[in-house]
Formats: sequence, structure tokens, C-alpha cells
Amino acid sequence: MSRYETLIVERRGAVGWLQFDRPDVGNAMNATMLDELERAWAELDADPDVRVIVNTGSGKSFQTGLDVVELSANPEALREQARRTRRAELRLTAWHNSVWKPVIAAVNGTCAGGGLHFVADADIVIASSDATFLDPHVSIGQVTAYEAIALVRKSPMEPIMRMALTGRHERLTAARAYELGILSQVVDPPEQLAVEAQALAETIAKNSPTAMRATKRALWGALELGLTDACRAGAQELVSMWGHPDQTEGPLAFVERREARWLPLEAQNREG
Amino acid sequence: MRYSSFDCLIVERRGPVGWLVNNRPDQLNAMSAQMRDEFAVAWKELDADPEVRVIVHTGEGRAFQTGVDVTEIATDGQGMERYRDSVANFDLHFTAWHQQVWKPVITAVNGLCAGGAFHWVADADIVIAASDAQFFDPHVSVGQVVAIEAIGLLRKMPVEAVMRMAFVGKYERLSAPRAYELGMISQIVDPPEQLRDEAQALAEKIAKNSPAAMRATKRALWGALELGLTDACRAGAGELVSMWGHPDQAEGPRAFAERRDPNWRVDE
Repeated sequence: MSRYETLIVERRGAVGWLQFDRPDVGNAMNATMLDELERAWAELDADPDVRVIVNTGSGKSFQTGLDVVELSANPEALREQARRTRRAELRLTAWHNSVWKPVIAAVNGTCAGGGLHFVADADIVIASSDATFLDPHVSIGQVTAYEAIALVRKSPMEPIMRMALTGRHERLTAARAYELGILSQVVDPPEQLAVEAQALAETIAKNSPTAMRATKRALWGALELGLTDACRAGAQELVSMWGHPDQTEGPLAFVERREARWLPLEAQNREG
Repeated sequence: MRYSSFDCLIVERRGPVGWLVNNRPDQLNAMSAQMRDEFAVAWKELDADPEVRVIVHTGEGRAFQTGVDVTEIATDGQGMERYRDSVANFDLHFTAWHQQVWKPVITAVNGLCAGGAFHWVADADIVIAASDAQFFDPHVSVGQVVAIEAIGLLRKMPVEAVMRMAFVGKYERLSAPRAYELGMISQIVDPPEQLRDEAQALAEKIAKNSPAAMRATKRALWGALELGLTDACRAGAGELVSMWGHPDQAEGPRAFAERRDPNWRVDE
């Protein structure tokens, strides 16, 4: 992997790790991190040895949104981010960057404001038992939009509205987020989070990369459309796989009681 | 009404409740080409029977359903190609939603529910399960894509749980209690042997309601999954008003005042 200043980007077996690494400032995104995120997602997506990606943070926070202090000292970076925000051209998350490998968000602590992008845009979310979620935007005179818009598609809406409107004055616990289906696993003790995330990712990495890519496209695409249109579009993803060697290898491996040997993902033109 | 004879399904009426039972227990109720064709007929017949007010769908044996019959796919020389056109054109006919059944449908998950079985979880109005039921989606573990079933589920429950099932594949199962917590199902029946009795009881409760009002309600709510919020409300308003002037709207309050069961009008 190439060098990063604000992220730790590495591969452990079949699992690519993207870790926010500005622990002294709650892993907030400064101009450097904004650039590096785009590069890191692309690098992990392009690495054929990476089957699944885990996104987490160093220290006590997962991610706490834009580093407003530092960005205000960097007018050019701030202007660029404002332009992207206005045009809905953000490049923060895997979804923004058209990454079609499975992405697990492993929330290791405080997830605040813009940090919710990375929860909303992950396929799977797990959290340490001491993780908390809050959205302070309205408490500092800012609007909540993208993160919450994605979350209201994916979970019961009332808690997302409550989080948006209570701002910094209330936090959602990991336990409640699990009950609500915002996440699927709470890890206790919290120190075990990385181990559990790696284990879950390795499990997922046993599945056909090509089938998972088409599945991810079908399911995220479904959030764009009405039910029948989404099923029609999903049907194309389904049929796209028919005749692919993984479809004979899967049952064969099962019969022969061995691990399947999947074809690596074909190189594809990156969108955007 | 006499129903056709089926090899892979049991189709019968008990009081106001139509039953559709997957009946290939030795194959864990996996769907063969013949079963697929029988579903299309069975849903239409239950929908056409005026005595049937509510439909319950369940399975024989230890599985509810386990998707397409992989053995048949592997051995009949046609494989999935048999289904290419119908899938590519999204011209499917094996669930109540596919067949535009507007009577209430309860899926009663009696055991294993795997892969393609989620079609009948996604496309039912109400889902209940035996306490030992288990849910998982092995598609990506055998090189297959997950699409239509999960797309239906995404609209109806927290998305993360659906995505986790899709990507974890055969390596993890969702329990009935977790499915209940997530709102994927609304009732767990324990002991599991009570499932059919509880399903019949629930269906009989629902059968006490106005068939015409339930039909318009079902159209409004499923139609809402096709549209943005304001458009869905506009379309729903059409269903609402369609019922005004219907005899059930006078009969309902009258029966309440007279402390008796309503005599609903049965159309067609």
C-alpha cells in the first residue's frame, strides 16, 4: 500500500483495513484526510488480494466529521469541500467512491456528525460495546442531510430524526443501535473489536467475489428505485452471473467438501 | 370450490382460510420446475375462491423452503437457463405478489428458510415463525447473486441485517428471536408444533375484517413501495376513496351498534 499521513491502510490476509488515524482530534477529517480517503478506497478496491474491507478508527473515536478548525485555516480545501457538498459529489465513503467490495464499518468509539456517513454507507456495521452515535450538526447551526437521508432508508426513521434534532445533547448507545438494526453485532469487551471484525471479514471473504459484487450493486441500486423497477434492475444483476465459472465451482466445492476457488474480480472501469 | 390436484403443494381451505403448503419435504421443499408452475396456479385458485378470505403459506417437514432445487438444476441438462427469460424479464409467478393476490397472505415459517425462500418472506403481508426457524441466504457461498428476494426485504426491515445475510452467505444463521427483534416477523410460536394452529387463529381473526377494505388497504400499502412519499399518499388516497359508498362502510358501524359480527359483502 502507498503511504498515508492520516489513515492506516493495510492488508491482513484477504481483508483490507482503512483506519482513520488522527486520534488526538477524534479522527476528524482535515484536507489531507479528505484527499487520502479517495485514494485509499481506490487502492483497496483495485488490490485483487483484498476481498473485503474493514473501516475503523484509532483511539477513542471512530470518526467525528469534518475538522472545522483546521479547514477554516485552509480556505482552498474548504471551498473544494463546499463545492462537492453542493453538487452531491462527496468522495468520503466507499459508496461515494463506487467500491463494490463488501465494506464493514467497525465503530470503535464515538461516531459523530459526518462520521455517520461511514455507518450509512457501509454494507455491514458492527460496534464495540462502548461506541456511541450522535449528530451535533443542528447544535452548531448546521443542517443534517446526506448521512441521515441514507440512514432513513436503512433503519427505522424515528431514531434518526431524534438523533438529528437532539443534536449534541443526546447519544445513541451501541446496544440501542443493535436493537434498531442499525448494526448487527456488539463486541464486548471493546478491545476485541478488531479481532471480531477481521473474523467476520474473513468469513465473508470465503464467498464468491463476483457474486458479491453483483449482489452489492443490486441491493444498493434498489435504494434508488420503486420496488418493481428495483426488482427488474436486480434481475439483470442476477442473470449477469449466469455462465460465470464461480457458479459451477461453488456447488462442486460443496460436493467435494473443500473451499471454493473463486475467480478474482475482473478488472473494471471505475465510475466517476 | 374444487382446486386442481398438485404434486408439490397441498392446497386446501379450512373455514375462511386458504392453505398453501410446500410439499416436497424430502427435498427440504426446494422448488423444482414443476413446483414453480404449480405455485402460479395455486395462488390464482386461492385468490379466486370466494370462501377464502385469508391465505396461509407454510411447509411440510423440517424446512419451510430452501430455494431452487439445485439437484434438478445440476442434472436436468438445462440448469438455470430454463429460467433465463422469465428472470431477465422479471416475469415471475411463484409468490402472491407476483400473482397479484390482494387477499391477506400470512407466511408461517416452520423451519429452515434459506436463499430463494426469502421470496415468500418478502412478498407476504404478515410473517410468523416457529421458535426453531432459522434464516440464511447461501447464494454468494455457491457463486450466485442475491437480488430480488433481498430487494423486497430491504423495503420492509432494517437494511443492514439484510446486507449482512447476503454477504455472510452460508456461514451464519439468523434466529427467529432476532428476526422478531428486527421486525422481519411479528410472532414467534413456541412450541414449534403449535405453528399451524396459531397461523389458523391469526388468519381467522383477520378474516373477520372487511374483505373489500383489506383489498384496497393491501393495494395502497404495497403500491407505496413503488413510489416516493407524496406520490404514494396520492395513490393511497385513490384506494381510500374507492371504498366510499361501498355497503361494508354502512354494515361495519351497524354491526358494531347491534353487537353482532358484520356480514361483509363478498365481491365477484
